[in-house]
Parts: sequence; C-alpha cells; structure tokens
Amino acid sequence: MSGHAANPLHHPEVSIANGKTYLANFVISVALMTVALLVVLSGMAPFDVFLVTTAIGGLTVIIQSYLILHTDTSRGQFWHTFSLLLFVPLFIVTIGLTAWMFHGLYQRTMIMPARSGASPMSLHTRAGTR
Amino acid sequence: MSAHSTAVDPKSASLWARHYPGHDVIGTRTFGFWLYMLTDAMVYAALFASLVVLSHASNMVGGPAPSEFINPRVAYEETIALFASVLTYGLAMVSLKKGSRRGVTGWILLSALLGLVYLGLSVADNVNLFQHGITPQTNGFLSAFFAIIIYHAVHIVVGVAWMLVMLLQIAKEGFSQNVVYRLINLRLFWHFQAVIWVFVFVFVYLQGVVL
Repeated sequence: MSGHAANPLHHPEVSIANGKTYLANFVISVALMTVALLVVLSGMAPFDVFLVTTAIGGLTVIIQSYLILHTDTSRGQFWHTFSLLLFVPLFIVTIGLTAWMFHGLYQRTMIMPARSGASPMSLHTRAGTR
Repeated sequence: MSAHSTAVDPKSASLWARHYPGHDVIGTRTFGFWLYMLTDAMVYAALFASLVVLSHASNMVGGPAPSEFINPRVAYEETIALFASVLTYGLAMVSLKKGSRRGVTGWILLSALLGLVYLGLSVADNVNLFQHGITPQTNGFLSAFFAIIIYHAVHIVVGVAWMLVMLLQIAKEGFSQNVVYRLINLRLFWHFQAVIWVFVFVFVYLQGVVL
C-alpha cells in the first residue's frame, strides 16, 4: 500500500479537526438555543414564536453544518457539501409536499374537533368529546 | 522516421503511472458513511413530515394538549449535554491529529459520559410522561412525538456503544488505518446527531409548547 495508508494520521480527514472551531460551535449553538428557549418562555404570540424559533433553528443548523460537519468547498470536503445540497430538495419535497397535501386533505375531509382557540373552554370541550 | 522525429519518444516519456497510487481508503469510507448519514436524515425527514401531519387537532383527540406535557426546560438540559458531548468528541479528534492516545481515549470517555447524561435526562422525562398515561398509543400526535424522540435516543445509544467499542479498538490496535476511519465516521455520526437534535429541540419541544 502507498499514499495515505503510510500514516493514517496524515490524512486530510484527520487534519480537518480544529479545536477552536468546535469550541466556537458549542458557544454559538448553546447561545442560540438559549435565545430560542427564552423566546418560548417569554409568552410571545404563538405564530411569532413559530417564526422566530424556526429562524433560529435554521441558522443554528447552517452554522453547525459548517463548523462541525465541515461542509465547505475545500477540495477534500467538496463532495460532502455537494451531496448534502443535493439532499436539500428531497427534504423539502418529503416534508413540504406531505404537509401541503395533508393540509388540503384535512380541510376537505375532516370534521374539525372543537378547538377554535377563541374560547377558553375549547380545551375542556375537546377532552369531553371522548 | 524523419516525419515523426518531433513526436514523443516512448522510451523516455512517461505515458501512464507505473505504480498504482493506492486507493484512498479513509477518504472513500468516510464519504460512503456520509452518504449513509444523509439517508438517515431522510428517515428523519419522513418522521418530521409525520409530525407535521399529525400535529393537526384531529390527531390530538383523547390526549392532553402538547403544551400541557411538553417540558422545554428538560429538553434544554438535554441540549447542553449533547452539545457538550459533541464538543468533547471534537476535542478527541484534535488529539487524534496530534497522535495522542491518552487524549483521544480521555475525550471519548468524557463524550460517552455526556451522552449517558443526555440519555438519563431523556429516559427520566419519557418515563415520567408514560407514568402520567401519556403514551405513543394514545393518539396520532403522541405516536409521532415519541417516534422522533425515541428514534433520536436510539442513535445516541448506538453512538455511546460505538465509542466504547472504539476505546477497545484503540487499546488493541492503536491508530491503524481501520481505527482512524472508524473514529472519523463516528465523528460524522455523532456530530450529525447534534444537528438533528436542533430540529428535534426546535420543532418538537419548543414549537410543541405553542401548538
């Protein structure tokens, strides 16, 4: 054998490790997740919580994939990054289209249980239907 | 011959590599494992699609509203434990770069320990829910809720077991080519679980509170 087999510790996949990046990832991720938790506990309107936490989650995932999964455009990692990007439309189709189809299906076929949210009794009514 | 006097002389020119340069075992195996992780992400995508579909009010009949039982504070503690474990595994990889056997072993042990802390918090929270009659078979929403959480926890169990196996292999073989590519694959696996956990924490726990 030749090439990288001579000393596996000299392989680019080994030398990609970077303590500073991993520490930065930890600090940033914990900070963002703390903010997301505080947003939920702050009593903001549900739809605003939904939007803000989705944005924070998306940002965290992008930062983490760059800092710890090393999805950059360097020569050694290019195909890792590219294959992940090719999967993104699959994630969108799997989750987005399913949600969209079922949303339409529910509107046309389901009898909604009493859960308007307008009345404080709605929760009680829903439990009572059983 | 005179017409071709400027052509390449086959006796001196090197037209092909005389020796097979060697197949990059570490590079191909880590890329193959990366593709496997992406297919695992597709399983998560299917589970999250189920969660979105089963979050409709008609699938919550017979059980409590999510805000009544979802505890984001416990999930936040799990987040800290898991992210710390990801950090310590990253530091094990830095020690690997330096060739320090003690460093790699120590950081992996700490990482496995933090993984167990995560699992302890997760199991305690879920057992508590089960004891209150909040079980996967109650309704569609709870089925999706527990499927995602348990599927993620199973990954953590596999990761911790894999770490213990790697500690044995490091003790037996040192940093051979096989041990090194397995350590890199475990890094991909373990760090991928942190990224997936962000989705679980945000979409299952945090947004479950306001559902």
